[in-house]
Amino acid sequence: MKSGSEKKKRLASWKENFADVGAQLFNYLFILLASLLIGAIVILLSGKDPIAAYVALFDGAFGSGLKFADTLDRTTIMILAGIAGSIAFRTNIINLGLEGQLYIGAFAAAWVGFTFHGLPSYVHIPLCILAGVLGGALWTVPVIYLKLSWNIPVLVPTLMMNYIAIRFTEYLIAFPFRDPGAPMAGSPRLAQSARLPRLIQGSTINIGFILAILIAIIAFWFLFKTKTGYEMRMVGLNKDFAAAAGIPVNRSYILALTLSGGTIGLGGAMMIMGFFGRFLGGFSPGYGWDGFMIAIIAQNHPIGVLPAALFYGGLANGAMAMQSATGVPQAVVAMVKGTLVLSVTVKVFIEGMRKRLQQWVI
Amino acid sequence: MPEALSVKSITKTFPNVVANDNVSLFVKKGTIRAIVGENGAGKTTLMNILYGLYQPDSGQIFIKGEEVKLSNPRDAIARGVGMVHQHFKLVPSYTLAQNIALGVEPKKGIFVNQDRLNQSVQAIAQKYGFEINEKEVTLDVSVGEQQRAEILKALYRGVDILILDEPTAVLTDMETKELFVMLRNLVEQGITILFISHKLREVLEISDDISVMRNGKLIGTVNRDETDECQLAEMMVGRETLGGRMRKGAEIGDCILHVEGLSVLDNRDLSAVKDVDLELFAGEILGGAGVDGNGQEEFVEAILGLRPIVSGKIRIDGQEIQDLTTREIREAGVAYIPSDRYRSGVAVDAVVWENMISGEYYSPPLSKGMSLVLPEIQDLSKKLIDSFQVMTPGPNAKTGTLSGGNIQRVIAGRELGLEKAKVVIASQPTRGIDIAGAEAIRKMLINYANRGAAVFLISADLDEVLALSDRIVVFYEGKVFDAGYYDEGIRQRVGKLMTSGEDCIDEIR
Amino acid sequence: MGNIDIRSVLTLALIASSFRMATPIIFATMGGIFSSHTGIFNVAMEGFLLIGAFFAVYGSVQTGSPLGGMLFAIVSCLLASLIFAILHLELKANPIIVGLGMNIFAIGMTNYLLTALLDSTGVYKSNLIIGFTQIQIPVIETVPVLGDLVSGHFPLVYIAFLTVYVVYLILYKTPFGFHLRSVGEKIDAAESIGVNPKKMKYYGLLVSGLLCAFGGTFLSLSYLNLFGEGMVAGRGWLALAAINFGGMRPVPSMIGCLIFGFMDALAVRLQQFGLPSQVVLMLPYATTIIVLLVSAIIARKKRMAGIGKQDDVDVSVATSSKKVEV
Repeated sequence: MKSGSEKKKRLASWKENFADVGAQLFNYLFILLASLLIGAIVILLSGKDPIAAYVALFDGAFGSGLKFADTLDRTTIMILAGIAGSIAFRTNIINLGLEGQLYIGAFAAAWVGFTFHGLPSYVHIPLCILAGVLGGALWTVPVIYLKLSWNIPVLVPTLMMNYIAIRFTEYLIAFPFRDPGAPMAGSPRLAQSARLPRLIQGSTINIGFILAILIAIIAFWFLFKTKTGYEMRMVGLNKDFAAAAGIPVNRSYILALTLSGGTIGLGGAMMIMGFFGRFLGGFSPGYGWDGFMIAIIAQNHPIGVLPAALFYGGLANGAMAMQSATGVPQAVVAMVKGTLVLSVTVKVFIEGMRKRLQQWVI
Repeated sequence: MPEALSVKSITKTFPNVVANDNVSLFVKKGTIRAIVGENGAGKTTLMNILYGLYQPDSGQIFIKGEEVKLSNPRDAIARGVGMVHQHFKLVPSYTLAQNIALGVEPKKGIFVNQDRLNQSVQAIAQKYGFEINEKEVTLDVSVGEQQRAEILKALYRGVDILILDEPTAVLTDMETKELFVMLRNLVEQGITILFISHKLREVLEISDDISVMRNGKLIGTVNRDETDECQLAEMMVGRETLGGRMRKGAEIGDCILHVEGLSVLDNRDLSAVKDVDLELFAGEILGGAGVDGNGQEEFVEAILGLRPIVSGKIRIDGQEIQDLTTREIREAGVAYIPSDRYRSGVAVDAVVWENMISGEYYSPPLSKGMSLVLPEIQDLSKKLIDSFQVMTPGPNAKTGTLSGGNIQRVIAGRELGLEKAKVVIASQPTRGIDIAGAEAIRKMLINYANRGAAVFLISADLDEVLALSDRIVVFYEGKVFDAGYYDEGIRQRVGKLMTSGEDCIDEIR
Repeated sequence: MGNIDIRSVLTLALIASSFRMATPIIFATMGGIFSSHTGIFNVAMEGFLLIGAFFAVYGSVQTGSPLGGMLFAIVSCLLASLIFAILHLELKANPIIVGLGMNIFAIGMTNYLLTALLDSTGVYKSNLIIGFTQIQIPVIETVPVLGDLVSGHFPLVYIAFLTVYVVYLILYKTPFGFHLRSVGEKIDAAESIGVNPKKMKYYGLLVSGLLCAFGGTFLSLSYLNLFGEGMVAGRGWLALAAINFGGMRPVPSMIGCLIFGFMDALAVRLQQFGLPSQVVLMLPYATTIIVLLVSAIIARKKRMAGIGKQDDVDVSVATSSKKVEV
């Protein structure tokens, strides 16, 4: 009799899982189509052909090996930004400061890159990366202080730190670290020893992409398989429960913000060391915000971040091609992204779908 | 006497539960009718139907002889039915008058006519003999006065049938007496009152007729003069006695938890625990009685390091713990069953195993180095689920899908399952859970004490405290009074301390 | 760069331009107060302001009148806040996430429409944009100090300050205001008297949309007649900080706005003295953080002063616990 009930339980949990996964897939398919549809309507309204535009977009992103490689290069920063957002979200911290942490991390990495010369690559690159991580992490310290010492929610301070970071780095490259030779406001070039090795001839893709995938796997392991990750998730799910259990709540908050900032700081370092080769003012078209959206879409799951980031990388890379091929402004992609994240926030569809699937399996 | 209200064959089902099963009821005008029954007997569901909050699946409702359909509280109020809930529905920052007249404010142009509002509230209070400072901000007044405001809020809308949901649960003895005087006043003026309670003594004191519910059915209605506590209790629970004494002889050992001069503030920085001394011995169950909100929560949180203390010392086995972190305090041997399991007992969005390991995850065998050892965790969780009879598909089920009683078993399993604790602090451990679950939790606490641990059972349910405790202390206005060891006179002593605290301490000794 | 005479910085003109700079923040703040009192922390105001600013310009170009532009702004912002409301109230999405999604959506949409409708990227500047003109108040205009401060502003500046008073009257003096606030402070009480919380939340969000339309219109059709994609520059967030600072009360929150406005004005003024623009433009944002810190310090001081007076409940502390924690 005991094994019978065991079987029943297993069957019930299987049904549950099936319904869960099925509903998730349906949900994603649905919101993806809905977003593309809204984008198509907008394109149609401006008198252009949406099919042609999407074909051009897809072609620009994945049309050839090299294009695909460039898309993967864009995906690097998207992965790291998405992981950064997810780590904070998992601890119930809404880190709106990703953009600022990105800039500071990028600048810190650039500074180490252009200041020191004559170092071997295997020393210089890790040093730059370390600087990027530290820069992004330390930029969250004022926010942590406000939260832990004065109980000020991080929402507004993290956002304000973005503006300060962007202005501050602009100041740094306009005055103390100005390179008069740069085409636009920018720092001096990084030493060659600080540049990330490229993976494929003719594409900007570099070892940063591999590192980003590695980081996603580490983040997954960290959040779900380690003590500290468990602590952070429990704090995120119910901090009063965590506190009563003796879980160090404040330490989890500190870790959430610094790890989040450090991860996107790493992303900034990758951009500078892999793609730009110097720090450029205003180099990010909003990667921090992309990361935020990717985390939401992936429901803060580090592995889920990977496909979402690829999708965003594809959009980013394909948009330009779409604009030049069909004249549809790339801004339409921003609208699709906005619609996508808005539809992901709607949980009712998924709940309804889950219930229906559950009934269906019975 | 004319009929105020009656229902015929009301049935209401919720998923998996028949909350009201073919209930019929007839209430005469100008009387007080008590509806008694255990938690989950269906009293509140029935009242919510009468107030238009729920719609019955079948059956009829008559008000003053006329069949009505109540689709929301507004309909009910229009028919003259008002309800005062156990948890007040008053806006803390508004004055009492503003709360009483909320929704039916007298106007001057488009603005609220504040003067006329105050006058009309005062007028209605005087009419029914209620004492109230209508200009006081709600936040600042006593619970009793807030309740008066709630009743006036209904009367202000002209209702003549008043439903009171466990009105005495939050009151002191003194306030309860005052309430009963007011209710008598109301009845004399023709108001009909339905009074939900599970405190039989009060019911016998105040009501004219008493209807008893059990498992969604109306068991019967009796006249106050023709019944007694024993009969009502039997009707309520369907057995002779109402949860008798469960605790038999204890072997008391050394003092394990020693609290000295403890003072703590509440969330509003007001003094909540005032210079409290307490000793808890190995092998005993110490009952902490008292009406909710007399400092119990703050006291417990201070011991666990969850709330900063103003002054005082707390020792476990002679080791001072007041400056330690919650984890260190728990490692010193404190198990904790919090009063609000959803707020601080579990994370409902986490799975069962995640809630079961929160005290152990960081030490072997559940973890090794940085990482968790998931197979060990699964094994332990399964073991605890079995031995604490948690009804769940398995350790990977979402905790939020479990019933309240099962969530409490998850907590009990986590806190008591590894049998490490020297001190168990159980705060309202059986509140709001099913009878079987409550019995199981009580037995666990007794077993724990029998094994030599010190158990501190804090409960607002006096019967529970009396059934389990070797010794009882009473929380009253932030102080703790010793009511002594269990004996024949304990109920009287505890009752007096609960309602008047210090004033009667000499009388008791 | 080192020697700046304080007196030449702190002029009457600086104070007057503080009023101007505070205006869009005041509009957003008053709108945000409305939704905050229904229990919704509206983080989408940044996006609403942007949408308002864009459509004000577009409407002005289309109709040739600033009022026409304002009408466009109002309609578009009401629509945007309606979408927010439907997603949150009907489809049960988390309001913070929806709000942030709205901001991202607003950036994308204005970006796209700027190209599609006005054929520009980044900034649109044209003689076709007809903005508001300043109002010279007769008599007061000629009074020395007062005239400099009070006269010669754009109409929306006066309307902003009027709005503060109107919002105060509505929220604290009318039955509607009592009902609306009860939703945010104690939803059970609201429901018990037949107030429909959802309806009130709709009102709260729509009013915040409406007032953000005013703020957006001011940004693009007063003083500078142009639309730039970065022109909102965090003012929707400053408004949230101001609401926090003022404990959701209209007048104290307005004071927060004036502090931010002053910092904005000071930043512009200091640039004229040759200080690096990148540094002075950090001022308003750094000030916001400092203001949050200072108001937290003051709140704690107040609480500390209350300790010991055990029976004396501090209402301000207790009511401020309504503040949304994120």
